[in-house]
Amino acid sequence: MKLDTTGLESFPTLLAPQSDVVGELSAAPSFDLPNSNDFDGFLKEAIQMVKPAKGTTTLAFIFKEGVIVAADSRASMGGYISSQSVKKIIEINPYMLGTMAGGAADCQFWHRNLGIKCRLHELANKRRISVTGASKLLANILYSYRGMGLSVGTMIAGWDETGPGLYYVDSEGGRLKGTRFSVGSGSPYAYGVLDSGYRYDLSIEEAAELARRAIYHATFRDGASGGVASVYYVGPNGWKKLSGDDVGELHYHYYPVTPSTVEQEMVEATGA
Amino acid sequence: MSIFEYNGSALVAMVGKNCFAIASDRRLGVQLQTIATDFQRISKIHDKLFIGLSGLATDAQTLYQRLVFRHKLYQLREERDMKPETFASLVSAILYEKRFGPYFCQPVIAGLGDEDKPFICTMDAIGAKELAKDFVVAGTASESLYGACESMFKPDMEPEELFETISQALLSSVDRDCLSGWGGHVYVVTPTEVKERILKGRMD
Amino acid sequence: MTKQHANWSPYDNNGGSCVAIAGADYCVIAADTRMSTGYNILTRDYSKISQLAEKCVMASSGFQADVKALQKVLSARHLIYQHQHNKQMSCPAMGQLLSNTLYYKRFFPYYAFNVLGGLDNEGKGCVFTYDAVGSYERVGYSSQGSGSTLIMPFLDNQLKSPSPLLLPAKDAVTPLSESEAVDLVKTVFASATERDIYTGDKVEIVILNASGIRREYMDLRKD
Repeated sequence: MKLDTTGLESFPTLLAPQSDVVGELSAAPSFDLPNSNDFDGFLKEAIQMVKPAKGTTTLAFIFKEGVIVAADSRASMGGYISSQSVKKIIEINPYMLGTMAGGAADCQFWHRNLGIKCRLHELANKRRISVTGASKLLANILYSYRGMGLSVGTMIAGWDETGPGLYYVDSEGGRLKGTRFSVGSGSPYAYGVLDSGYRYDLSIEEAAELARRAIYHATFRDGASGGVASVYYVGPNGWKKLSGDDVGELHYHYYPVTPSTVEQEMVEATGA
Repeated sequence: MSIFEYNGSALVAMVGKNCFAIASDRRLGVQLQTIATDFQRISKIHDKLFIGLSGLATDAQTLYQRLVFRHKLYQLREERDMKPETFASLVSAILYEKRFGPYFCQPVIAGLGDEDKPFICTMDAIGAKELAKDFVVAGTASESLYGACESMFKPDMEPEELFETISQALLSSVDRDCLSGWGGHVYVVTPTEVKERILKGRMD
Repeated sequence: MTKQHANWSPYDNNGGSCVAIAGADYCVIAADTRMSTGYNILTRDYSKISQLAEKCVMASSGFQADVKALQKVLSARHLIYQHQHNKQMSCPAMGQLLSNTLYYKRFFPYYAFNVLGGLDNEGKGCVFTYDAVGSYERVGYSSQGSGSTLIMPFLDNQLKSPSPLLLPAKDAVTPLSESEAVDLVKTVFASATERDIYTGDKVEIVILNASGIRREYMDLRKD
């Protein structure tokens, strides 16, 4: 049983299927499906066995100077931390970033796929793809796999001919345009800091610090977030990584431990 | 998720030369949400006897209060402190009383017994004792702790080296566990003194 | 549709642990040689390590039937690559290929947990670590399989290298020499064997460096 993979193909097939010796292996790849009556049940069980990496805090917002994108770097399988150095901000092209929340493999694979599609659009149309277009490409792919158990919660942020752009796209087929998003298990904590500190006319430094603080507070409260807080900025000249701080150190930077001062000490009474 | 993993915990006890150390993390959470970062899982029964209770925090506190109560009654009747072996049997008996509706706790008991011989032991939620000569671990980070302790432990360590070893084992283990960490709490107990230290750890 | 037994599963877990450490000019990949199912040991001498290319070695634990199938696909793809490009595949390229191969089975996954070790084009050691459905990452060291939860904290403690995501970046090369790395691998396997029933019997260590490939073995507990 094979699945329709037209969403996967990077370009239309111009030639008839090759009949080389290696036909089977060099043919367009496709997804193997289990030969089971109960696909949902099977997938649920299989996924439980392999426990793909999950757990995240990511955020992005638009402000006067452009877009800020930030994320933590932890991947966990159940209670076990499988990695503390995941790159959750994916560089699609020099003007566009994607964030990663949900299944690590799903996000990594489809962002890579989106990167290919964006480059091909650029070659075919002699101009860069808009953020709107790119996010829709991804949303359409994910929608075609709806109900099959993909787990993706992503933000596509970038700068195009219309200025800064920010979209939220998820594996249920949702696609929202907005100015402020946070995705992942730590998002409630990040939203708390983000909403209380956000203004449209923030400077780049202030905006980066706000994002960093929001990620830090989320890592503090959320068990499934942690590692390094990375902050990216996307402006008219493309994206730039502004900072990457180990939150283990960031905590003591924000809240230094002061040695407890002894207010009164017992001393030998003098005189009397 | 298991009820034992509801609050998250990491506990470890190690034997040294005429001394022992017992350490825990400081987190109390509700599943993935961190509620407190100054939680006490290890309690003193008397100067040479400590118990750490991993697992469900509410049961740990209730169980601790019952144990202190029973120990006080023992002190009044016998006019002496309980030996660690006796105390371990008491804990085991109290746990087994609730065989069919257990306290969701895995205790770690560490103490100095006769002639200050170190004693450590752990048991499951219904009181099956497990004595060890080297180290015992419990909690959500127990697998990581097993690995770390197995590689780092050496027999007959002096108190200072024991402190260093148990701290390194605890901190590197909780850094691989979502549900425990946020600092550490270490007690090093020798026949003459109890040293309590708070460890700075990663707060994520 | 064929009628299937109600609780039949296409998967089994054969256990085993894998470790890989990358150094400045070498790479150490190791795995134990026990293969088990449930409480039974099927064999005490089964290699989990396969050489995919000249400078690229994969160690896999999980379900050995899936592992074998995966190894076959990769070696077939590598053969085609050699015919088409007249050269060996580089380790980062093999890393990407493995990721895609795993993801194409997203809805019927290979029950395989892999670490890929080798030397990159500059001769530096590289390690790629995977989950079962193909998310991957280049790291300095990694452990996968049944004993990974026991091994990883100790490797962190001994090798703790600054995260590659830090800005300003810090040098993240493993500070160990080749022989120290081999000794460390032996230590972690001896420790994991004490507590993990799926790890034991023997550890096979593959060392890749500029002068080629070398294998070492060390006996572990057999109980």
